Amino acid sequence: MQDRPEPILDIQNVEKIYRSKGALFGARRKDVVALRNVSLKICEGEIFGLVGESGSGKTTVGRLIVGLEDVTAGNILLDRENITQLKGRALKAFRRKVQMIFQDPYQSLNPQRSVLDTVSEPLVIHRLGRSADRKEQVHKALKAAGLSPPENFFYRYPHRLSGGQRQRVAIARAMVLNPKFVIADEPTSMLDASISAQIFNILLKLRESLDVTQMFITHSLAAARYLCDRIAVIYRGKVMEVGSGEMVIRNPRHPYTQALIDALPKFRTRGVVKRYDTLLEKDRRLEATLTGCPFYPRCAVADERRCHREDPELKLLGDGHYVACFRLA
Amino acid sequence: MALLEVENLCIDYRTKNGYLRAVDGVSFSLDRGQSLGFVGESGCGKTTIGMGLMGLLPPNGFIREGRILFEGEDLVKLSPDEMRAVRWRKIAMIFQAAMNALNPVQRVGDQVAEAILVHNPGLSKEKAMEQVEELFELVGIETDRMRDYPHQYSGGMKQRAIIAMALACRPALIIADEPTTALDVIVQDQILAETRALQKEFNIGIIFISHDISIVADMCHDIGVMYAGQLVEYGSREEVFEDPVHPYTKALLSSFPTLTGQKADLVPIPGETPDLIEPQLGCRFCDRCREQIPSCKEKTPEWVAMGHRHKALCCRCEMGR
Amino acid sequence: MTEKTTTGAEVKGLQKYPWVTSFLEGWAIFRQSLLGKIGLVLLTMFALMALTSYIPPLIDPMYNPMTGVDPDITDSTGPSLKHWLGTDFMGRDILSQLLAGARVAFMVGVSAAVMSIVLGTAIGMTAGYMGRFVDTLLMRLADMIMVMPTLLVVLILAAVFGQLNIWTIVLIIALFRWPGVSRIIRGQTLSLKQRPFIEAAKVAGASHFRIIFRHIMPNVLPLAFLFMTFRVTSAIIIEAALAFLGFGDPGTVSWGMMLQWVWKTGHMFKALYWLLPPGICISLITLSFYMLGRAMDEVLDPRLRREDQTD
Repeated sequence: MQDRPEPILDIQNVEKIYRSKGALFGARRKDVVALRNVSLKICEGEIFGLVGESGSGKTTVGRLIVGLEDVTAGNILLDRENITQLKGRALKAFRRKVQMIFQDPYQSLNPQRSVLDTVSEPLVIHRLGRSADRKEQVHKALKAAGLSPPENFFYRYPHRLSGGQRQRVAIARAMVLNPKFVIADEPTSMLDASISAQIFNILLKLRESLDVTQMFITHSLAAARYLCDRIAVIYRGKVMEVGSGEMVIRNPRHPYTQALIDALPKFRTRGVVKRYDTLLEKDRRLEATLTGCPFYPRCAVADERRCHREDPELKLLGDGHYVACFRLA
Repeated sequence: MALLEVENLCIDYRTKNGYLRAVDGVSFSLDRGQSLGFVGESGCGKTTIGMGLMGLLPPNGFIREGRILFEGEDLVKLSPDEMRAVRWRKIAMIFQAAMNALNPVQRVGDQVAEAILVHNPGLSKEKAMEQVEELFELVGIETDRMRDYPHQYSGGMKQRAIIAMALACRPALIIADEPTTALDVIVQDQILAETRALQKEFNIGIIFISHDISIVADMCHDIGVMYAGQLVEYGSREEVFEDPVHPYTKALLSSFPTLTGQKADLVPIPGETPDLIEPQLGCRFCDRCREQIPSCKEKTPEWVAMGHRHKALCCRCEMGR
Repeated sequence: MTEKTTTGAEVKGLQKYPWVTSFLEGWAIFRQSLLGKIGLVLLTMFALMALTSYIPPLIDPMYNPMTGVDPDITDSTGPSLKHWLGTDFMGRDILSQLLAGARVAFMVGVSAAVMSIVLGTAIGMTAGYMGRFVDTLLMRLADMIMVMPTLLVVLILAAVFGQLNIWTIVLIIALFRWPGVSRIIRGQTLSLKQRPFIEAAKVAGASHFRIIFRHIMPNVLPLAFLFMTFRVTSAIIIEAALAFLGFGDPGTVSWGMMLQWVWKTGHMFKALYWLLPPGICISLITLSFYMLGRAMDEVLDPRLRREDQTD
């Protein structure tokens, strides 16, 4: 998809459908389509932003990559190895390479385990190093995550840490194995702005020092712009636009991205702000179908004859900027 | 006369480790049709101010000092019963995560009608339902959805229904505490636009409480920046956000990623928020402050007027005056 | 103006031993509970009784609770200088029996409770974590046992197998008392299973074994301990009832056994000095374990809400 060399992570036509169990009486089955034919390539060393609203399927992408859930169809390749069917030893080896930072630091740390226990656990699981070496590595990881002096935190328990400190512990846990790829799932949505900025800067620093490729999942375009090299905008399980951060934000081409940017409060801007006005005043009513552009019901510039019948595919507009919209073709 | 005038408001919480001063000496005023925004990080006391104004503090919280003059009447002195008469009829509130405030087993229209009936006991049910219809049109919910249950509503519609409820008695003041935090940006934008229109139409004063600077900047005429229970900078939106003087305001602004302008480095604020049970002497922000001078630690900062209404609580600004 | 209570956490040096701080914090809450304090005082009293039960037989063999008979007495007598609470129909000292009964009550209560809690916790965690048919199977089994009237079943077993040894009784009580615990532990496990820290452990590569024992177990143990106090109560009551009905271990002096002797020898309302002490002791010890449990409940609350009690 990109003209860059080898992608480290290659998501190919991934689909995820949550099948609802039919009720005992009455067969009201309704499957929920979380991801529709998602393809993304992520290159080594980059921070890739996945931006979407709640229910867009952005978190599902992350959970599929780390293997917390199974794909319904499609492949995910890490270093050219398909990871959707891994089991046993191969799965454990894969776990060393991919780690995740979760959204809520108040929930992602075991309240009964100390910081040292939590951060050293991946080392213990993978039988890396002796106890003393492990301590050394935990020390390093905590320091890299900005907790200093690290030894002061070894025997603290989560309830004695602030939200920001907890998230740093979670980052240290993810980084202690020296993974190749880390997924950060809205790591700052529970934190205050000033603390979020600390976390962002740690993620940026880790990219420099450990050369770890990251996927940053967020609902905030502004945060993605600050952190990411490239951004993908996802809406109702479909990738709408992919491109470099500046490109997507300065020159969005998909009507949905444009509507998103219109909707963000304009803050500290002088003069007239350009508006795209791609959002319909009132949504079109139509039966829910699985075909067509998911944004069609709200899109002001849609083609009434085509947009709800066919699925627009990602098309290259040049310079690595992909958009899934018929209007541009 | 201002609609709301708050003088030296101090609110304490009783905790097992002693009294915690959640709001410390906050003063501000608000006119009809104007909006005032409070920004600050979690624990800075902004939500407590809202609850204090509504008389809805939790059982361990109480107003220690100060006056809340609403239309010339001091709300602090009112009995709980008198306060109940003011609340909702004159001062309404849109809570944080208000979407969960709807009763799941009652039709949305009926719930709004009930809110009207409670405060207008003489009204007939039919009359109330007529008013509900008007309200729904006002906030942009199709009236044929009145008979639906909350789970049939989207998040944005629930929030609209809550706003309809807040408007039910045509209050003079609405306190909106993180009203759109749980919503997606497109819906948030629509709701904020509608709120602005309604404010203009009914000449309502709004106190807007949020951790999101960009929303407050978008919505409010005046801004109060809060830190550790204190108001640290106060002024018009332009003064505070275009020309901030308090180091905390500056730090907060530079830690906030933006979409427009040049991509600039975010500068996080180092450290953590201070302990409010035994607050340090001197300026509460000084340990995290980039611009601190020796006297910051010893001297309690005083208000310094910077412009027409623009003022800041900072020793450094005091020196520069 | 400000009253400061120092919790253990502020004492430097204890940082490394967090269980000390959490214990001290829990203690601070516990101390505020009147019920808990009464329960604790009563239990201490019973514990002292159990300990002192070793003393009388050392003084004189006739104070041996089971075999010691006062040669001068042939029938039940009231309190005297020699026998502070009087003697039973064979001239055995009631006080020594009462003290020995405390020892037996603790032994039966605690060991049956520990066994049923261990069993219940293990089964509950397995069912909750594994889910699917393992869950269904174990929980149906639990349901089946739960609806069986324990006492009746034990009576039938006793009738079939003849006299039961005290340890057999303990084992039977444990086997019939785990389902309630396992239901609650299963519920707790189900909710823990969804928590991100379990997912984080999975992403780190943790095995099921590790997740159950390192992540889920420490989080359900406080709840299990809480239920232990309630299980002690029920075990003591069941044992007393069995003994009273004549199915106890004839080689052990328990309070239930003492009551049986009173009843069987027709002294029920004639010798209150014999009837009342074991009766009061049974009521008080179960009550005090219950009060202790309630106070512990408050300590664990609000992190762990108590679910329906099944007894």
